[in-house]
Amino acid sequence: MFPAQYEDLQIMSHAVIGFPSLEENEKAIAGLAEAGVKLIELQVPFSDPVADGHTLVNACYEALKHGGSVQATLDLATTVCARHPEVTFVLMSYLNPLFRYGLEELFEKASAAGIKGMIVPDWPVEEIEPWLPTLDALGLSPILMVTPNTTAERVEKIAKASRGMIYVVSRMGVTGHETQWGEKFQKYIAEIRKHTDLPLAVGFGVRTANDLNALTGKAEVAAFCSQYIEWQRDEGSEIAANKMKSIIREIDSPEA
Amino acid sequence: MIRSENGYFGEFGGRFVPEILLPALTELEDLFFALRDDPAFWQEFATLCQEFSGRPTPLTPLRRLSKQLGGAQIWLKREDLNHSGAHKINNVLGQGLLVQRMGKQRVIAETGAGQHGLATAIMAARLGLEATIYMGAEDIERQYSNVFWMRQLGSDVVGVTTGAQTLKEALDEALRDWAASVETTHYVLGTACGPAPFPELVSYFQSIISDEIKEQSLRQMGRLPDEIVACVGGGSNAMGAFGAFLETPDVNLVGVEAGGVSLEDGKHSIRLSQNTGETGIAQGYKTLFLQNDDGQLGDTHSIAAGLDYVGVSPILAYLSQQGRVIPESATDDEVTEAFSLLMKTEGIIPALESAHGLAGGFKRARQMKPEQNVVINLSGRGDKDIFTVARAFPQREWTEFLQREAVRSTEALAKKRGH
Repeated sequence: MFPAQYEDLQIMSHAVIGFPSLEENEKAIAGLAEAGVKLIELQVPFSDPVADGHTLVNACYEALKHGGSVQATLDLATTVCARHPEVTFVLMSYLNPLFRYGLEELFEKASAAGIKGMIVPDWPVEEIEPWLPTLDALGLSPILMVTPNTTAERVEKIAKASRGMIYVVSRMGVTGHETQWGEKFQKYIAEIRKHTDLPLAVGFGVRTANDLNALTGKAEVAAFCSQYIEWQRDEGSEIAANKMKSIIREIDSPEA
Repeated sequence: MIRSENGYFGEFGGRFVPEILLPALTELEDLFFALRDDPAFWQEFATLCQEFSGRPTPLTPLRRLSKQLGGAQIWLKREDLNHSGAHKINNVLGQGLLVQRMGKQRVIAETGAGQHGLATAIMAARLGLEATIYMGAEDIERQYSNVFWMRQLGSDVVGVTTGAQTLKEALDEALRDWAASVETTHYVLGTACGPAPFPELVSYFQSIISDEIKEQSLRQMGRLPDEIVACVGGGSNAMGAFGAFLETPDVNLVGVEAGGVSLEDGKHSIRLSQNTGETGIAQGYKTLFLQNDDGQLGDTHSIAAGLDYVGVSPILAYLSQQGRVIPESATDDEVTEAFSLLMKTEGIIPALESAHGLAGGFKRARQMKPEQNVVINLSGRGDKDIFTVARAFPQREWTEFLQREAVRSTEALAKKRGH
């Protein structure tokens, strides 16, 4: 399940369905679970992922050539949710593939597959609100995004519509670049906490053990995604999982 | 001019963007709503278009060609005579006025054929703004002369190498830039697409075209035209040509899409006709997209880089659904034929994009009576297409000239390096 407020930092990582292949996805997810990753985003690849940087854009492009789709994501979710009950799986997608599938049917099938939450970056809060009763009945949590330029009024609205946790976009821009975790960032987090009791998942620019250490005690979840996909791309899923394991060990016992 | 209901035109439109872009779109919308009914603002815009771009552009009768085709009288709205060579400058000059009011110092734009990028580079140079233009690597190859001029004008042109490397990918990349730079940068979207308020805002500035057509028709024909024809890529020149006539049902409005080489997937860019486009939500808005069953946006083809787009203005999707706009298409071959016919009969060199309007318009005019009038919006001029057209009509001397020119250009570069 999602962490409780102020619980110790957990890692959320990522799978782009079909990247590098559907079979490899299963092994990679097993590797992440074994490494101690508590939440995994299952990303439906999309032809036009506008909130993503080049790492995920290219992974999507490859994934589409290797059978990635909404259906493939649901099928994989059914398998991995049953196999790794200790991991919380979150569906990540751009809106169009879900819209084409049929939103209501998609929500039902995702929930039946064991998916607990959804991150859809181009689905604004106004369009989500009418679906909240359906999503609540299915136990499918919409995890909405807050960005550094979101007004307090809108943070309030987004917090009200979010379930499970809130995704805090750490900085301006797209995924896959560095972020600074200074005073400005801490103030930003504090502002968001005024509007919600939900745990915060921080993403965009979480790439090193230093980043994770900086987030310890400030957020409940760190989304460690593009860097992991780069490891997976360059060195294969096994080495990527080993790297993830050592980085998690490092933050769990900083003295070691 | 048509108005949205909260950004929607029927079921189409809306604002489906990452949260990070929302404040900028709201700011732009507030500013636009505050200005659009202010006659002084429109006057400021019209004066700028007159002083800088030579508006009003003429309405030219095609006497010889009309007689030859034996149908309706054909008139061209001469957007090709704008500064920069296309209608794109209208929207860009308008958005330039908004940029000045917002106080932003940098602009970005996507471009397909390069005409919108060129217009943006011109506006940025004139206002002293920094400009970055995103263009698909494939389109850069097709429209290199525009790239050359954009760079000479001081803009940074970034080639986009993801996916099919055309307009769709350029738009994605511009949105990514904007997500990082939105507080200091204005995104000069080039067509009547994208998240609200862009479809409405771009159509508003382009409607200067139909305002003029209305006035000129009354003066030159003594009445309104029976039909107005425009090519449709994203839809900005069509919305510009149609805008003032939407509530005049006697005037037929015809949008001509790129039929490419065939109706096979990936070989055309027809979204409005023949059930090719399906409702989808991407690139910030809801419209008819060419896409597969999984909701992945499809590949497109057209001889004209500016029509090679996977979505279409939500306003045109709505008007087409309502039956107000009649969708037509023209194939690459029909287009080169119409291109050649206009040149040889009337001495006007059209852009390949606009030649789709010609192909569709000529076809329809043939079926009409000599006392009827058809206005075709000639959205741009063809100079930029010299390389593409030269390939469509191959000539030995042109190829030999290019070889000599390549040698001269290489020598000039070596000399510069030597200094």
